[in-house]
Amino acid sequence: MYIILIYDIAQDNGGAKVSRNIFKICKKYLTHVQKSVFEGEITPPLLVKLRMELDKYIRDEEDSIIVFSSRQERWLEKEFWGVPDEKTSNFF
Amino acid sequence: MESYYLFSNGELKRKDNVVRLTAPDGKFKDLKVEMTREIFLFGEVSLNTKCLNYIGQLGIPVHIFNYYGFYSGSYYPRESNVSGELLVAQVTHYADEKRRHDIAVQFVESASFNILRNLRYYRQREKDVDEAMSEIKSLRKKIAKTADIQELMGIEGNIRKVYYQAWQAIINQEIDFEKRVKRPPDNMINTLISYVNSLVYSSCLTEIYKTQLNPAISYLHSAGERRFSLCLDIAEVFKPLIADRLIFSMLNKNIITEKDFEREANFCYMKKEARQKILQAYDLRMKETVKHRDLGRSVSYRHLMRLECYKLIKHLMNDKEYEGFKIWW
Repeated sequence: MYIILIYDIAQDNGGAKVSRNIFKICKKYLTHVQKSVFEGEITPPLLVKLRMELDKYIRDEEDSIIVFSSRQERWLEKEFWGVPDEKTSNFF
Repeated sequence: MESYYLFSNGELKRKDNVVRLTAPDGKFKDLKVEMTREIFLFGEVSLNTKCLNYIGQLGIPVHIFNYYGFYSGSYYPRESNVSGELLVAQVTHYADEKRRHDIAVQFVESASFNILRNLRYYRQREKDVDEAMSEIKSLRKKIAKTADIQELMGIEGNIRKVYYQAWQAIINQEIDFEKRVKRPPDNMINTLISYVNSLVYSSCLTEIYKTQLNPAISYLHSAGERRFSLCLDIAEVFKPLIADRLIFSMLNKNIITEKDFEREANFCYMKKEARQKILQAYDLRMKETVKHRDLGRSVSYRHLMRLECYKLIKHLMNDKEYEGFKIWW
């Protein structure tokens, strides 16, 4: 499956630490495309694993993470307005 | 899972629990380690043991290519899937002339079948390959009758020779391709074959790594050539499907031409952009899927390689007789 993950972490008591950890964990599974936006191909079991890792840090009352999922990348239309950025490419 | 192809020069490091390649200009690329299958390094990259340890822990093989784009080796992390039982079975099948021959015959049978498939396709496209096809067909009849590996290798070589001669007819571009020359390849087609085959070998190695098989014990090729020869065996079956077809389509669509090569005294190498173009095509091809008849679901070309390993394991463990992969569509 192909997902887009967006997070919003409240920057009050200890928020910086939370967002730092969320960022590092997401990077292991997904491609960082914009400030708090990740996307990439993932398998359902790995998504569960990602969620379990994130659950350790997320403060249920304050932070929120949204996951948009689609079956495959080709069911997702993507457009760049402004600067196009090929961050998800496997070639570097 | 993804394969990363890194052309840039720079430094590969562990950073924030991911692997980061930093180019000299400060640009960087983070590899999402949980989703990485393998890494191909083409540039001049320095990396430290801390990074290798991390890659090893995650079980990601790293394939390294030299300045000219030739395969130079792999960083093969500690085997995590080991099976003593299977290793013993692999060795006994190798040591027993008869059993080794049985497996090797399967490799050659299916490789030549796939070669014929390629030729048949081009015959439909009105290319003059009839002669090659009938020659290969008659050679194929001898495969099962061979007495030993030496003879089998001879037939395999003859089939390839006939096949390569037919390439002049298949490829629309003006090519000067008489025979296969390796180390170093001397013309455009030989360079292409060497390059694409080395990609197929390394992908095979990655897939073998994920199974319990020992990559050093092979059946068609003799083991103990100081290299992982099992991937040569398995790649044999897939070369016509993946490597050769890729080369034909790149050349016939004029994506790769004589201009993409640089010739020196007695060898010929590919320019960097051409290598990238081929890799991109290769990556796409490996992701291509076909509907598997027995499994009843879609599998990618890459996964077919892994299935081949599993079939071999079943054979070695006396579970189900190995039958090489033949293009069924």
